Amino acid sequence: MTASPTRPGAEAAPSGARKRVALRPLARRLRLPSQPLVRHSILFVLGAGLFYVLTVNVGAYSDYQIGEIAVYAIVLGGLSVLTGLNGQFSLGHGAFMIIGAYTLALLQLHTHVGLVEELVIAAVIAAAAGAVVGVPAARLSPPYLAGVTLMLALGLPQLSAQYGSVFGGEQGLTTTPPPAPGTLSPERWLAWIQLFCALVVLVLLANLVRSRFGRAFRAVRDDEVAAAVSGIHVARTKVLAFTVSAGCAGLGGALLVLSTGVVNVGEFPLSLSIGLLAAMVFGGAGSLVGVWWGAVALVYMPTWSTSLSQHLSLGTSAAAYLSDSFFGVVLIIAMLVSPAGVQGGIRRIGQHLWRTVAGPAFEPVPNDPSLAAPDGTPSEVAGVEAATVRMDQETKERSRP
Amino acid sequence: MLHVEGLSVRYGPVRALDDVSFEARPGKITTVLGANGAGKTTLLRTLSGLVRNHRGTASFDGQRITGRAPESIARLGVSHVPEGRGVIAELTVDENLRLGTFVRVRRGERRAVVDEIYERFPQLRDKRHRSASTLSGGERQMLVIGRALACRPRLLLLDEPSLGLSPIVTAQLMATLRELTTGDGLGAVLVEQNARSALSVADWAIVLNLGRVVVADRPARFAADADLRRHYLGF
Amino acid sequence: MALFVDILLSGVAQGMVFAAIALGLGLVSRATGIVNFAQGAMGMFTTFIAFSLLSRGVGYWPAFVAALAAGAVLGAAVERTLIRPLQGKPALNPVIVTIGLLVVLEGVAGSIWGNVARGFPAAFSQRGLVIGRTRVAFSHFDVFLVCAVVVLVVAIVALFRWTALGLRMRAAAFSPEVSRLLGVRVGRLFTLAWALACAAGSLAGLLVAPLSSFSPYYMDLYLVYGFTAAVLGGLLSPVGALVGGLVTGIAIALVGGYVGPDLQPIAALAMLLLVLMVRPQGLFGTAGVRRV
Repeated sequence: MTASPTRPGAEAAPSGARKRVALRPLARRLRLPSQPLVRHSILFVLGAGLFYVLTVNVGAYSDYQIGEIAVYAIVLGGLSVLTGLNGQFSLGHGAFMIIGAYTLALLQLHTHVGLVEELVIAAVIAAAAGAVVGVPAARLSPPYLAGVTLMLALGLPQLSAQYGSVFGGEQGLTTTPPPAPGTLSPERWLAWIQLFCALVVLVLLANLVRSRFGRAFRAVRDDEVAAAVSGIHVARTKVLAFTVSAGCAGLGGALLVLSTGVVNVGEFPLSLSIGLLAAMVFGGAGSLVGVWWGAVALVYMPTWSTSLSQHLSLGTSAAAYLSDSFFGVVLIIAMLVSPAGVQGGIRRIGQHLWRTVAGPAFEPVPNDPSLAAPDGTPSEVAGVEAATVRMDQETKERSRP
Repeated sequence: MLHVEGLSVRYGPVRALDDVSFEARPGKITTVLGANGAGKTTLLRTLSGLVRNHRGTASFDGQRITGRAPESIARLGVSHVPEGRGVIAELTVDENLRLGTFVRVRRGERRAVVDEIYERFPQLRDKRHRSASTLSGGERQMLVIGRALACRPRLLLLDEPSLGLSPIVTAQLMATLRELTTGDGLGAVLVEQNARSALSVADWAIVLNLGRVVVADRPARFAADADLRRHYLGF
Repeated sequence: MALFVDILLSGVAQGMVFAAIALGLGLVSRATGIVNFAQGAMGMFTTFIAFSLLSRGVGYWPAFVAALAAGAVLGAAVERTLIRPLQGKPALNPVIVTIGLLVVLEGVAGSIWGNVARGFPAAFSQRGLVIGRTRVAFSHFDVFLVCAVVVLVVAIVALFRWTALGLRMRAAAFSPEVSRLLGVRVGRLFTLAWALACAAGSLAGLLVAPLSSFSPYYMDLYLVYGFTAAVLGGLLSPVGALVGGLVTGIAIALVGGYVGPDLQPIAALAMLLLVLMVRPQGLFGTAGVRRV
């Protein structure tokens, strides 16, 4: 990619454009407060309102799907931070979802703790597993990291068959969704819980991105040696990113099996793990708004491919493969042409529109965190977007694992 | 044989070569001198096809070589000896030499060509089955030059062959080079930091400064003109 | 004791398949510095091509050869269209591309042939040989399998060691730029390395299809075991791949026989991590020569 939407060629900027007024990010133009916590909280409330309106206007099945989208947004958010911000990646996030899912099911089976505790414990256990994997992962170059996480995605599910008495073997374990208050349908209540969790997690991630840790993540991504020289503990930072990311996946897995009512490893095949990576790339690596595009693709792609294969009269079995192939094609195309995903495309269009409507564009100065947010569509969360990076930039080539 | 006309190369906004023109003739050594960053290595890399030029042409025996792939330029008989680590350290000495013969030497004659190189550099014969990584700096330089000769080249492009060599070995190297380039045979373009020894063997010298040719003259002129030497060559 | 011998023998047979995959991974990695995670899927795809030919009445050996040829063509095509454009990009990009290719190939195979476990014929009897009075877990087919992989390894070693083509391939892998300056057509040799590697992957696919439930996903686990074997063997030498394959095969068989077959992938992962942490250059590699 020659012209990144987030970093228009600074050397070409006219000196006038560097003035503070011209540099104001979108958030300021919309009079959003510059404090990240306050700004993200406001966006949280806006998002919650939007989803409330959305869910009360749809049926039970759509409630289920909206909840599913929220769940994948959580998982993709964690993955996006790992890849877009820290330059690592994982082909095994399905495994962390499994860990969260089984933790929740086992807690429901053997204990009487509340839903919040269940979810927190599920996330923590998955995060701990992430830390364990993250320690060796931090030392591996991309091909080895890919191999190790691929094996995790293939190997972990088989444990449930090995220890059938604990994990219920192929049938798996059952889960009970939380009882809905009043007249609310259980599906809608659950969808709200899932959406609430998604918004909380994304706001937390957005704050993390803007924090000291987020800066350390980016520094390690851009240049490990330079980061180490600047006093950042590279290995610890990478492990932390992996831990956070796995925790998100665990929470997502736990929330997902609340909807399905059953946990078994068949729900988390290798293609899910790869699909997660592809969906994250599809939305735009590092973009916490883009994760919603990825989540929508993950949830609706099977439906769309079913109707497409009916349309093409390919037979029903082809449908599942179409959707898998779609994600494979997304990965290949993204790597060959390195776009910033759907959100990157939207931003570019938005930038163009904004320029034609509002006159000369501002030039973000990447080094100034308060100004680093790029301009774009009114729908996007300034600041979070600054994290968007190009896949081809983020991982420095290393010669050894 | 080599005809360079208005050659320009850019790395992004940086002009590495700007309108460079010169000629190299059979049996003659043309030396390219200049400070660090003057564009000497870029010039050789452009001539051998590793770097794309931005303007101008270079032609070899009437055939245009700018825009061609390095392997196809090598097949015409232009042998580029890159700076420093041109030895393939993972291969043996013999394998390095044989590699040179694959393109321009017929199958049946390859062994004889390699033996010829051993005649010229007997030290290499003693270590023929050793890994090239075990050679000393001088031996490595012999090996890369020997390998370039095994290509049966018509033009040698040498990038800093004296780098890291002792004065005695450098002098031997220059003598060998002079011996190889006689009559209407092999021509050479010799890029050197070590201007004194390069000028001692060259037939023609050009000086690059910030990518431009600032002087092009006979080596004798440098011997005569102390100002010129001080200004561009620092001695 | 008889159990132990049987486990060992099945480990050897499996290990040979891992070795063939590891050899292919090593060929590609050595030439282009890439680990081809689609190698197993490519082998799966060409084995399905053989399957289609067999079900149309083509004989076993013509189908066998056709699958190997299809593997070579597929490998060369992938190198030209997907891998070459990534030259100069970070190491992450080709890894992700091969992963994407893995998913696409499995998807395409699934939509053509369906996701049902089928039987794939073996060239020779799969009943255990009788040695003395006992029947051991080693069949005529296993003998063929071991021989096929050994022939492959010997052929690759001979190619690299004794032929001019092999010398050029090694030179191109170690030092592409210097090789080009010597007139070596490096791009073609990289394509050739991919073709050879994917033919080796096809061989692995054909050999292992009768031993497993033959579906679009049957090579997934073999790929990761092959990857383990490749890392164990140091990724660079064909003999390393052979030994790495044998070690992995026997270790996996022992875990399967004495602990439980479902723990095999996790055991392989543990083995891989151990090697990567303790001896990243592999059991036979020397530090500093690895390119990936």
